[in-house]
Amino acid sequence: MKIPIRIWILVIALILSLLVIKPTFDTGVAVKFVEQGSTVAEAGLTSREVIKEINGEKIENLEDYSRVINSIFIDEEEKRLDIITKENNYVFLTSEIPQITVEDIQKTNIQTGLDLRGGARALVQPDVPVTDSELQDLVDISRNRFNIFGLSDVNIQGISDLSGNKFMLVEVAGATPDDLEQLIAQQGKFEAKIANETVFSGGEKDIADVCRNDATCAAVTGCSISQGGYACNFAFTIFLTEEAAKKHADVTSELSLDETGRYLNESLFLFIDDKEVDSLLIGSSLRGQATTQISIQGSGTGETQERALEETRKEMNNLQTILLTGSLPYKLEIVKLDTVSPTLGKEFTSSIITAITAAILAVSLIVFIRYRKFKASLALLLTSFSELFIILGFAALIKWNLDLPSIAGILATIGTGVDQQIIILDEASQTKSLSIKDKLKRASSIILSAYLTLVAAMIPLYWAGAGLFKGFALTTIIGVTAGILITRPAFAEIIKRINN
Amino acid sequence: MEQLTEKPEKSWYDKSYKYLFFIPVTLTILALVFLINFNSQHGDVIFKDVTLTGGTTITVLDPEVSIEELFSSIQINFPDIKIRELSDFRTGQQKGFILETQSEVEDIRPALESVLGYELNKDNSSVEFSGAALSQGFYKQIRFAIIIAFIFMAIVIFLIFRTFVPSLAVIFAAFSDIVLTVAVIGLLKIPLSIAGVVAFLLLIGYSVDTDILLTTRTIKKKEGTINERIYGAFKTGLTMTLTSIAAIFIALIIIRNTSEVLRQMFTILLIGLGFDLFNTWLANAAILKWYAERKEASR
Repeated sequence: MKIPIRIWILVIALILSLLVIKPTFDTGVAVKFVEQGSTVAEAGLTSREVIKEINGEKIENLEDYSRVINSIFIDEEEKRLDIITKENNYVFLTSEIPQITVEDIQKTNIQTGLDLRGGARALVQPDVPVTDSELQDLVDISRNRFNIFGLSDVNIQGISDLSGNKFMLVEVAGATPDDLEQLIAQQGKFEAKIANETVFSGGEKDIADVCRNDATCAAVTGCSISQGGYACNFAFTIFLTEEAAKKHADVTSELSLDETGRYLNESLFLFIDDKEVDSLLIGSSLRGQATTQISIQGSGTGETQERALEETRKEMNNLQTILLTGSLPYKLEIVKLDTVSPTLGKEFTSSIITAITAAILAVSLIVFIRYRKFKASLALLLTSFSELFIILGFAALIKWNLDLPSIAGILATIGTGVDQQIIILDEASQTKSLSIKDKLKRASSIILSAYLTLVAAMIPLYWAGAGLFKGFALTTIIGVTAGILITRPAFAEIIKRINN
Repeated sequence: MEQLTEKPEKSWYDKSYKYLFFIPVTLTILALVFLINFNSQHGDVIFKDVTLTGGTTITVLDPEVSIEELFSSIQINFPDIKIRELSDFRTGQQKGFILETQSEVEDIRPALESVLGYELNKDNSSVEFSGAALSQGFYKQIRFAIIIAFIFMAIVIFLIFRTFVPSLAVIFAAFSDIVLTVAVIGLLKIPLSIAGVVAFLLLIGYSVDTDILLTTRTIKKKEGTINERIYGAFKTGLTMTLTSIAAIFIALIIIRNTSEVLRQMFTILLIGLGFDLFNTWLANAAILKWYAERKEASR
């Protein structure tokens, strides 16, 4: 039997979708991020590797990973770690939990949005109206900040909505909201002042370099018990530009010594967003000197020593980031902040898959009861699933993040798809004078009309609400277009063959 | 009436279609009156939830906490609070809850944490916050998008059929679907979320499907009597709408206690599709029958 071209198109579309989606049955956890300078990084583990085994225990998913790691590091003693990745073996001794971020291995190329994967999304608005290029500057600085801060998987973009409001959309997979709020909303205006005069500020004009990830010039210097909790101190070196160093020399040359004679009578005050964060005594030997190296200190506190350490590292990282990237040109307000738990995302995914499957099965059953045609009902079932598959393939191809609105769009499309297949079935089975070809022609004119109205109705949504519902419009349009070009013609062809 | 009396036999439908036409029209007028009244009382035609007014939604995974107790202890300080249970659709067991309030995250979060007795983190909870100005802006824009979508749809319908009365009948049916659904949502006192408002766009799409089918079959087809054509379209259209309703109903049952976004979208589609049956097969069909018979008589 010759297979007609319409069926070929469907088959090719399905094969292409399969190739794009590229499902795998691999297990393991993928390394997303490795902290530079940590033991595990020195052992050679890099991001993008896939961990399969730790100390002889098989790691199939994220739960396995946390369970195994927690069981190994129950106390502070030094442990031997045998990590087997897909590519390599690593053996090393350590007393600290590996400073890496891992995630479940990607089973397919379908990108899921925050609603399904977990993470955080913030919509940020500058306090003054900005132009497109100013918004772009803001996006660039923020992106730089996130990079330096060490957060991977961040999507930042400038968007404007129907009313012309401009926003910066920040989407982070897996970060805690505390980090996010501080990172994006903090304007990060850093100033170092002596006697109320600014000596240097954050950004590349004054700061030539900042020591990071190098224990010899950036480290937590010690912890102690304080006020019912713990406090730790950090110190890191920054390198001033010559201009800033000269300014430092000019300002300090006018100062005198304090009572002890070891320090100058004015301290160096550090401000972030006009709030004093620390003050440093200036050694008497620095008076009038064009020094380019300055040690910046600070501290963090916590209920336990571990928490205090973590807090201190965070503070240090934050300060380093601000010093390197400089201040944002505007004060920012977080107008929307969503953080989605990965656990909840999993629940969504499984119930959505169940819902789609159940709905398609129910529809096929109704069609079977109504028309008493087994083959036609089966064809309808297959066509609907193909359509779903093609939409997912296309979404994977354009790397679209499937969020809840996108999924609602997919469901809607399958719904209209079924409606149109019923039109084809009914038109084809009418025992009137027309040839089957003419009947299908008329079915397709009805379907084309319905298609045009639905697309017309979806277009305005693309821009409304800062594009947060773009996915809904997009998947619907992709779905109905794939329907009209690929699945509907194929279905009509199948029905033609069944009826002949 | 003249052209009708020329025909010797009159079926039940021939006699009653003009009366049937008035059922959806009367309902629509009643709904409009209700909505105008609703609007003057509440300042809008719908009740809005926090996604449209601005506020915080916190979803917590906790199979043990007593939701009634939680509600009564938080309600003291946050009188506008709403709490809904999340449960597994198979076993019906509680999995957690969704809390809504117009307060800011910084206010509600510590209060909730102190009642629950543990810290909320990204493993046990999701937190969504929208500022009031932003949410209201979004609402205005999506409402605008619906109006534009409706106008686009109307233009496309006019371009396809190129005849005034049948096109207007399709547009009336879509309009009436929306108006009746909004009225029912108001009657049931369901506060709409932003997703719910978006669902009305879909309703426009679903609604015109059957109307296009009916109009094409009735005025473009030549074989059979008008009644036969309408009846043929009715059989197809009914299957279409009923399968849609069945699919959405089943999906709604499964998703009901997992996703607020999908739950609301499906609820609105379900109500809208129900009304679409009336509007398409009572109102639109009657207009088309009257139009087609007049056209055939004048030929």
